[in-house]
Amino acid sequence: MTAPPGDVPPVAVVTGASRGLGFALAGFLVAQGFELVANARDRSVLERSARELAKDGGSVHVVAGDVAEEATQLALLRAVERLGRLDLLVNNASELGPSPLLPLTEYSTRDLERVFRVNVVAPLELTRRLLPALKAAHGRVVNISSDAAVAGYPGWGGYGASKAALDLISLTLAHELREAGVSVVSVDPGDMRTAMHQAAFPGEDISDRPLPEVTLPFWAWLLNQDPTRISGHRFRAQADRWEVPES
Amino acid sequence: MMGTAPMLEVSVGRGADRPPEERGIPRDGVRLLVSTGREETAHRFPDLVELLRPGDLLVVNESQTVPASLPARSRIGEFLVNLSTPYGPGLWVGEPRWAPGKPGPLPLDVPSSLEAGGVPCRLVAGFPGIPRLVFLRSEGDLWNAMREVGEPIRYGYAARAFPLDAYQTLFARVPGSAEMPSAARPFTSHLVERLLSRGVAIAPIVLHAGVSSLEMTDFPLGAVPVFPEPFEVPGPTVRSILETRARGRRVVAVGTTVVRALESATDSCGLRPAHGFTRLYLRPERPVRSVDGLLTGFHEASSTHLALLAAFVGGTRIKRAYEFAAREGFLWHEFGDSHLLWADPDP
Repeated sequence: MTAPPGDVPPVAVVTGASRGLGFALAGFLVAQGFELVANARDRSVLERSARELAKDGGSVHVVAGDVAEEATQLALLRAVERLGRLDLLVNNASELGPSPLLPLTEYSTRDLERVFRVNVVAPLELTRRLLPALKAAHGRVVNISSDAAVAGYPGWGGYGASKAALDLISLTLAHELREAGVSVVSVDPGDMRTAMHQAAFPGEDISDRPLPEVTLPFWAWLLNQDPTRISGHRFRAQADRWEVPES
Repeated sequence: MMGTAPMLEVSVGRGADRPPEERGIPRDGVRLLVSTGREETAHRFPDLVELLRPGDLLVVNESQTVPASLPARSRIGEFLVNLSTPYGPGLWVGEPRWAPGKPGPLPLDVPSSLEAGGVPCRLVAGFPGIPRLVFLRSEGDLWNAMREVGEPIRYGYAARAFPLDAYQTLFARVPGSAEMPSAARPFTSHLVERLLSRGVAIAPIVLHAGVSSLEMTDFPLGAVPVFPEPFEVPGPTVRSILETRARGRRVVAVGTTVVRALESATDSCGLRPAHGFTRLYLRPERPVRSVDGLLTGFHEASSTHLALLAAFVGGTRIKRAYEFAAREGFLWHEFGDSHLLWADPDP
């Protein structure tokens, strides 16, 4: 990843950073010298995770709160403004929907609206609010998607549809923000042993799924690609190959 | 990615512990075993000129071997860091080991500080699933450190250290391989001239090979880890391959790295130009279709190379060929003899 000028560390915002994929990625970013703004809903869990992330001397700022709420988004904006720059926004916080999963015809409107609110509207709102800082740093937006966005798995319809919408938002934003020098990609991290995956299969043994750390080589690769060349593309972190699109 | 193919039990012959030049024979003086679906025959490497026909295409790996083994130290003492794969400026995957013949894993904390080739580095994360590989973030230029104090990676079976030239092939052009893509080692400019005069064409790809040490370690039977390696298959090479096959001529990969690159550039629509990282694991359940022949060396019993060979022509043929090679005294390892495998029984 291109270092900012001088000795200023690059800044990353990661939502849903207290557990699972968000936590693994946040730790990797801190280890590489990013100054981190970590968000998650549960303050006590987030603060514990932030202490863990900062134990090697890293710089971690905590913004607790639901990413779908305006107050949380404004607090994230203030944190970024205080740090004076934003190089990377990872929209990772996601809402699974009802646990155990329900077929679409049994989904309540309220549940469906909540899933779309967190997984589609909030990442877009956050991108909009943080756009001035992203433009100034020619920053990157990474939206965390899912294979459910393309597969049509029974039970995953609400979540999958929201991630499909997020994929299209990523692609559209990539085109709309190209001139401004902001890069947008979506990433399907693949199945992992996380609390969310467990919530999708309550009581089932998911120990055959890899830990989120399995994606670290992918992040190392992605964050070192020319952001303008990969903008508008969708990647699978656990795929056999990660390709730079033909220009 | 873990491969779970059952281990192929094969014969293993004597290893070459030094380059042929140090055994009194020229680079292209090594032996060549030719395997078809019907039989094994023993040749000399230069016989390749007659074994190929006008219109056939050799695909070669242009990756150049870098002196990736750096002296290192930290509070645990002195050791080596073998750099495997660059991910970006200041970010590498590497393998700390005690010595060429003495692997790790070392008792290094994550995170912790160390110095490799005089450059301060931070061990920032373990590599998922492969305990002896780590992510290193450097505070200086490790390419430069390699130029200054790096040595070619070697293992216990090598008689001694050899100069970097011993680890370069004629086609080496793009620096990046931690270990020599060794299949092309016997090619000399004289041999290439003879091949070109015969009407055999040559086209390049790049795949930077990482460390191979993992293959000799004690992973669960058949669970050989595959880590990502940078590759590029350029457009003109794709065109040459498609044209060669359209004319009914044969495409021969020089090395398993070439097969990996070409298979990684193949999707449901066929072969196309590609550029990125691949960790494609080629094994019998995932057959190889992009080439008609494979020129390679003789590989360790538990290696991913061997799984790839079995993916290409089936395990039975590999067993038979290796039995023949061991019996006839062919030499194993990167300085050893060569093996040309044809997919077709009557190539």
